[in-house]
Amino acid sequence: MDHQGHGHGHGQNPSMGVVGNGPQFPYGSNPYQASHMTGSPGMVVASPGTIQSTGQPPSTQLGQHQLAYQHMHQQQQQQLRQRLQAFWANQYQEIEKVTDFKNHSLPLARIKKIMKADEDVRMISAEAPVIFARACEMFILELTLRSWNHTEENKRRTLQKNDIAAAITRTDIFDFLVDIVPREDLKDEVLASMPRGDVPVTGPPEALPYCYMPPQQVGAAGVMMGNKPVMDPYAQQTHPYNMAPQLWPQPPPPPEQQQSSPDQ
Amino acid sequence: MSEAEELPRSIMRRVVKYKLSRCSEDGEISVSKDGLLAFSESGRIFIHYLSATANDICKESKRQIINVENVFKALEETEFPEFVCPLKASLEEFRKKNARKKVVVSKGKEDEPKKKRKLEGESSDKGEGSEKGEDNDKGEDSDKGVSGDDQ
Repeated sequence: MDHQGHGHGHGQNPSMGVVGNGPQFPYGSNPYQASHMTGSPGMVVASPGTIQSTGQPPSTQLGQHQLAYQHMHQQQQQQLRQRLQAFWANQYQEIEKVTDFKNHSLPLARIKKIMKADEDVRMISAEAPVIFARACEMFILELTLRSWNHTEENKRRTLQKNDIAAAITRTDIFDFLVDIVPREDLKDEVLASMPRGDVPVTGPPEALPYCYMPPQQVGAAGVMMGNKPVMDPYAQQTHPYNMAPQLWPQPPPPPEQQQSSPDQ
Repeated sequence: MSEAEELPRSIMRRVVKYKLSRCSEDGEISVSKDGLLAFSESGRIFIHYLSATANDICKESKRQIINVENVFKALEETEFPEFVCPLKASLEEFRKKNARKKVVVSKGKEDEPKKKRKLEGESSDKGEGSEKGEDNDKGEDSDKGVSGDDQ
């Protein structure tokens, strides 16, 4: 089809066509799909170059085209949904067929060796190691979960040995594992759980000797109880009072002063 | 402790990572080397603990072979009763799988001609001498009902 000759005959730009008295569109950029344009009731194709309207304003024509386009879009969406449903139905069927999953099973021979390491264990049925493998796996999963809780509490992203140690000390049923926990970790846990101010003291406070220390040494070596510095029982020293130059028994305070002294 | 008694670290890592991926949605969580070693050691001690308890139960019932029921009782005694139900389910699965395997093997044997079987028997007799002494650690259990002491 010769667009150029036709365009010159009408005195128009050869690359432009007129749609009624509406806006001009280049032929290259078709605003609607061809199937809609040819099938619309309000349009008549007069000649290859010009498209004339049949009495309807351009706004209604645009509305009709939009409706037609939306209708087609909905149909496509529906087809797509049907295909997706069919696809997933097939996938589910395939998944249900598969029963032989590869679990991370522990080696049965190794488990048997571990069991036989105990001299008392004589004979084991063939099914026992299978149960042991699965039980051990479940136990590790449980321990992992409890350890991860401790890791999360400390706002870390790496699970460490002390997390496992904490999980073991917190959980009663893991008491048989206390041997694998380092003693320092256990001590830290116990100290953390104890309130800081409480120092176990045996006997009445009058019976305890106290010593004068310069202020800078009190924080390092002793714990303050009221006005009296007392040695930290957790600091393991052979001679707890060798830092102080003198020792003397505490004089009992007069009753008037005892009443007036403010509580700390 | 010899390395033969250790649980394989690769499997331990896989189990731990699987659980950690379920625990946290955001990002990858790593496990330190000593942490992984602690998990492996914990698993080993758990097996010792459970087998010792099951052995005691077995002796109480005046039997020599540790069977599945002893293990289930031991789990309840060691305060892991929540493990029993899933373990029973996995045991059923294991039994079904074994039954299927046996059916397949028996069918295969019926289909084979006798001559073929004789030839295979001769060839296996030749190769048996070298393979007897080796200890395979593949985790495949023998088809016997009981594995006794090898000492």
